[in-house]
Amino acid sequence: MKPITVTLTVNGQTRTITTLPNKTLLYALREDLGLTGVKDACGGEGECGACTVILDGEAVNACLVLIGQADGRSVETIEGLAQDGELHPLQCAFVETGAVQCGFCTPGAILAAKALLDRDPSPTDDAIREALSGNLCRCTGYSKMIAAVRRAAEEMSHAR
Amino acid sequence: MPAELKTVGKAELRKDAWDKVTGRAAYVDDLPREGVLVGAVVRSPHHHARIVAIETAAARNVPGVVAVLTAADVPGSKTFGPLVQDQPALAFDVVRHMGEPVALVIAQSKEAARHGVAAVQVTYEPLPAVHDPVAALEPDAPRVHSGGNLLTRYEISEGDVATGLAAADVVIEATFTVPRISPAYMEPESSMARWNDDGTLTVWVSSQKPFEDRHAIAGVLGLPEDAVQVCSAVIGGAFGGKEDSGLPVLAALGAWATRGTVRLINNRHESFLAHPKRHPARLHYTLGATREGELIALKAVVHLDTGAYASYGPAVGGLLTEMLAGAYRIPHVQVETNVVYTHSPFSGAMRGFGSPQAHFAIESMMDMLAHELSLDPLELRRKNALRPGDRLLTRVTLDRTAESLPLILDHLAAARARLAQKPPAPGRVAGVGIALGMQSMGLGYRVPDDSTNRLALAPDGSVLLYIGSPDLGQGLATAAEQIAAEALGLPYDAVRTVDVDTSVSPNGGVTCASRMTYLIGNSVMLAAQGLIAALLDYAARTLNVPRDALRYEAGAVITAAGERVALGEFASRAADEGVPLVAEATFSFPYPEETTPKHLPIGMPHVMLVFGGQAVRVEVDPELGTVTVTDVVAVHDVGQVVNRAGVEGQIEGAVAMGIGYALYESMRLKADGQWVDSFTEYLLPTAEDMPQIESVILEIPEASGPYGVKGVGEMGLVPTAPAIANAVFQATGVRAQAIPIAPEVIARPLGG
Amino acid sequence: MQEFDFYAANTLDELLRLLAQSGGRVIAGGTDVLVQAQRGVFPASVLVDASRVRELRFIGQDGETIRIGALTTYADILASPLLRETAPALVMAAATVGAPQTRARGTLGGNIANASPAGDTLPPLLTLDATVRLVKRGGERVLPLAEVLCGPRQTCLEPGEIIHSVAFRRPSQPTGAAFLKLGNRQGMAIAVVNVAVSLPLDDDGRIAGARVALGAVAPTPVRSPRAEAVLYGQSLNDDVLERAAQAVLYDIAPITDVRGSADYRRKAAVRLTARALRLAAQQIREGAQA
Ligand SMILES: Cc1cc2nc3c(=O)[nH]c(=O)nc-3n(C[C@@H](O)[C@@H](O)[C@H](O)COP(=O)(O)OP(=O)(O)OC[C@H]3O[C@@H](n4cnc5c(N)ncnc54)[C@H](O)[C@@H]3O)c2cc1C
Ligand code: FES
Ligand code: FES
Repeated sequence: MKPITVTLTVNGQTRTITTLPNKTLLYALREDLGLTGVKDACGGEGECGACTVILDGEAVNACLVLIGQADGRSVETIEGLAQDGELHPLQCAFVETGAVQCGFCTPGAILAAKALLDRDPSPTDDAIREALSGNLCRCTGYSKMIAAVRRAAEEMSHAR
Repeated sequence: MPAELKTVGKAELRKDAWDKVTGRAAYVDDLPREGVLVGAVVRSPHHHARIVAIETAAARNVPGVVAVLTAADVPGSKTFGPLVQDQPALAFDVVRHMGEPVALVIAQSKEAARHGVAAVQVTYEPLPAVHDPVAALEPDAPRVHSGGNLLTRYEISEGDVATGLAAADVVIEATFTVPRISPAYMEPESSMARWNDDGTLTVWVSSQKPFEDRHAIAGVLGLPEDAVQVCSAVIGGAFGGKEDSGLPVLAALGAWATRGTVRLINNRHESFLAHPKRHPARLHYTLGATREGELIALKAVVHLDTGAYASYGPAVGGLLTEMLAGAYRIPHVQVETNVVYTHSPFSGAMRGFGSPQAHFAIESMMDMLAHELSLDPLELRRKNALRPGDRLLTRVTLDRTAESLPLILDHLAAARARLAQKPPAPGRVAGVGIALGMQSMGLGYRVPDDSTNRLALAPDGSVLLYIGSPDLGQGLATAAEQIAAEALGLPYDAVRTVDVDTSVSPNGGVTCASRMTYLIGNSVMLAAQGLIAALLDYAARTLNVPRDALRYEAGAVITAAGERVALGEFASRAADEGVPLVAEATFSFPYPEETTPKHLPIGMPHVMLVFGGQAVRVEVDPELGTVTVTDVVAVHDVGQVVNRAGVEGQIEGAVAMGIGYALYESMRLKADGQWVDSFTEYLLPTAEDMPQIESVILEIPEASGPYGVKGVGEMGLVPTAPAIANAVFQATGVRAQAIPIAPEVIARPLGG
Repeated sequence: MQEFDFYAANTLDELLRLLAQSGGRVIAGGTDVLVQAQRGVFPASVLVDASRVRELRFIGQDGETIRIGALTTYADILASPLLRETAPALVMAAATVGAPQTRARGTLGGNIANASPAGDTLPPLLTLDATVRLVKRGGERVLPLAEVLCGPRQTCLEPGEIIHSVAFRRPSQPTGAAFLKLGNRQGMAIAVVNVAVSLPLDDDGRIAGARVALGAVAPTPVRSPRAEAVLYGQSLNDDVLERAAQAVLYDIAPITDVRGSADYRRKAAVRLTARALRLAAQQIREGAQA
């Protein structure tokens, strides 16, 4: 395998990585960039959503993106969500509604929800369920996660 | 009493949530990578085989491979296990299930580890395998262990079943089949171990039982227990499945052998194959009743598939036996529960611990009986529900806790009436089903069942809570902090939990069995009294006044003159003087001498019980047989709410698990001889599969519980699957005796 | 993850050249390739990334022909007013693929090239009589979709050849079209059976050339000539639709696997087809009213 060098924007910062090509964005973020908020819960099958990041504005499974495919692109991870030390309304809402239990699914679910709210600021409950349908959670039964997204959407609409 | 509570019952936010929403929370795989070696496991591709030879030389020569270990390299005990020491750290002589660890490769990188694993050559002689617990008891069945395939059999008989059945007006009989379930916590098992220069080991785990892991590691490595320090990282869910020391033992073996730091992370396939599952079971029930619907006799024969190793199988079989008749009064009962070895991945602890299996059978039987007698299933339950003073098949006599059952039934009746009003979507049929549930708390009589916890005053006046049992994500620490704050009259924010570390934490026991909030709460309340006493002693010495001139109130010491001296002042002064202000207390689960029956095997009976019930509305597509759960009303007695969001979260998560149990999940052996071992084929409920859940929380205080608290961790799962099956029957007239309910069983025949 | 070398192409020319030179395989959205590669079973030692070849990501119309580039994602399909109008069954299918994360990455070309018997876009494309344009260095050919799919996970693509785009004619008559899928759960599910139908009506209100196609009931997605024959020239009534649905049984050969038994698939194929036909008929009626 010939190593490749990739330059991408991560949470607004330009980062360059040289790595073997058979690495996914998931493990490049975790191992090369130390951004461990992105998780692996299904072994790269696209089934759990714990590895969700936002790639050029869309929620994707980082386990199904090769690092080479991310060259020149822009990635948002959970670590970049807070702005100037202030948490994103989704982060606050997840804490305040009790949507966080073990937390392993949390970063991915928050990013999937963020991609939704960026596109649709006042989603219906069905739209929220759909947006979270690729993010498995074994702890919460999803009710409080859905409530948290609803609450964040409300907060954000007041703030506007 | 509840009116006076200041912190318990309040909507406090869990403190670890901030780290979890920002990605800072460190699970084992998130701990620093610098200088850490990577472990990878060579696993058996066979269900059952003799190991003829293991050739490791080629693997050792792979660049980057540091060590290749087999059972021959295990310095201490070759096996471990919580109840029966039958589980090899690394297999020797034979492999007994697919995925069993055979060799451990330690390398400098994942790539090298993977190449190393591929280069290990194991020669197997495949042997016949058995996967069915009934077939495994045939005389000529392939043997899993030399002692035979029957791990444990429980036979309990109360009254006279033959006479009871003979006297019954109706007798119904049915066999139920329940599947192998993966706990499927999102964080697969993980462990990291470091060899320290002083000849000790530090091991980070994602585990429900750091102290037992320490014991297992020390045993396998032949080290004294105090040479092993086990620390809890943040845990990504557990549900019973992380009551297994397999991975910590291997990580520790790797660190010991290489004198380095080794991390070992299971991938999802490994998690399916090599970690405890919920026991699959076959349950044959015969139930007799009078024409009026009074239960007379129950006979049951149960076969539990415990897989290749015992794990907690005997205890699961025991609890299943105790829960077998559900929340009902039945004078004549005869039970035979067989816990059977097979060549399947091993079963062990999982949320509910035998109770969900038993309840699927008994709660389905109750509806079948109601149908047979043309009675209302709810009234049938009301007629037979346990009451205070009734005796269970274990001869445990029920106390006040059974007062919840009529209330639960009232709520279910109201919920059922309301849900029955909702018209089905076009082309669908709807039905509402109910089920009750009973779950025990605690580990059972004559099993060490206690928890020790410690409170320490920090120099800044805050209180450190050293819990001895890890928070698995369910919010145990939050509940414990609320109870500590309540007991000390401090604000919730003044109490902080310290992660479990066996070198500093007290031994709190295994986090399991719906017992934690109860046990930890009680022990923390005792410790709080101790801390107040220590503080007053110190204050009396410092102020040079008699001890009984002082009293403690809400974060301050009050002098005889009525002057308030804030806790913080003593805390900082004591810290300066090097005087520790600490108190530790142990609370043991009560098994009252006079009332605890003593005729049963060890671990039985359980004396404290909680009850709940659920009403479920389903819509069924009668042509395709697909079932959609639209509403769940979950009624549970929790004694006293400590944290409402926490309690609801436990119930909602458990209901989701119950829906998966009823409709989707099954770790099957496929036609090609492989197990279902990925989320592509093992389907968990998604956000789109979940109904509206309404939690109705009853608070009938448990006299011995901290502020009245009972356990809630497991109960929410118990009634869900049978309530769904009962709802499907109401909707379609088809009785599903096996879960997950296959749409093809429900679907109308073509042209029908 | 298995090992491979990686090259990225920015243009179609570059993609074809890299494929020809390296003997590698295309990776587009990666939602099939990377699942297989992480299990160690993807048959290639070189991957050439097509995901940034803009020329292959388009949805367009030229005259009466609609063309969709191979790199078009499910999300693109869902957002296209043109496809909602001309290929509603394809849009309905795209909406059921995986989760939002899958739909953001997965491509139409990948779904075809992956040739899963359960691929959700394939029955709708069959009902559109879609053709597939295949290109390689120094050549191109256009084949009907059915000829591209030659077995479970097998296509007729030659080494170095890629799917460029698919094309179909804009329906000229009033046409009802529908797609339905049965999965093992509601969120994120692979089809146990999927069905697409199209019902064009002639000027007399009779069914012109109807199309019925099903997935996960044979080695490749298949059309049901018998069902189509039952419908031919008939007027829209429930009895005809039901008889057509029953006729699919003669054209399918399902197997038993973890998702369902052969028997159940047969039953479901009939019921889903009947529903899809009724849905399509209803669309026409509503269209006629509007
Ligand atoms: C979680 C999950 C859920 C899914 N659910 C569904 C579902 O419900 N329904 C469904 O139908 N599918 C489903 N899929 C599979 C679906 O995402 C893929 O079939 C997708 O359409 C493939 O497109 P891709 O761009 O990701 O292809 P890739 O993975 O990049 O490639 C797939 C195959 O196509 C080849 N290929 C790709 N593009 C071309 C081209 N232009 N020319 C020639 N060869 C090409 C590749 O070499 C490879 O062999 C699911 C996948 C995942 C991970
Ligand atoms: S790791 Fe599970 S979807 Fe990516
Ligand atoms: S909070 Fe544990 S998996 Fe979602």
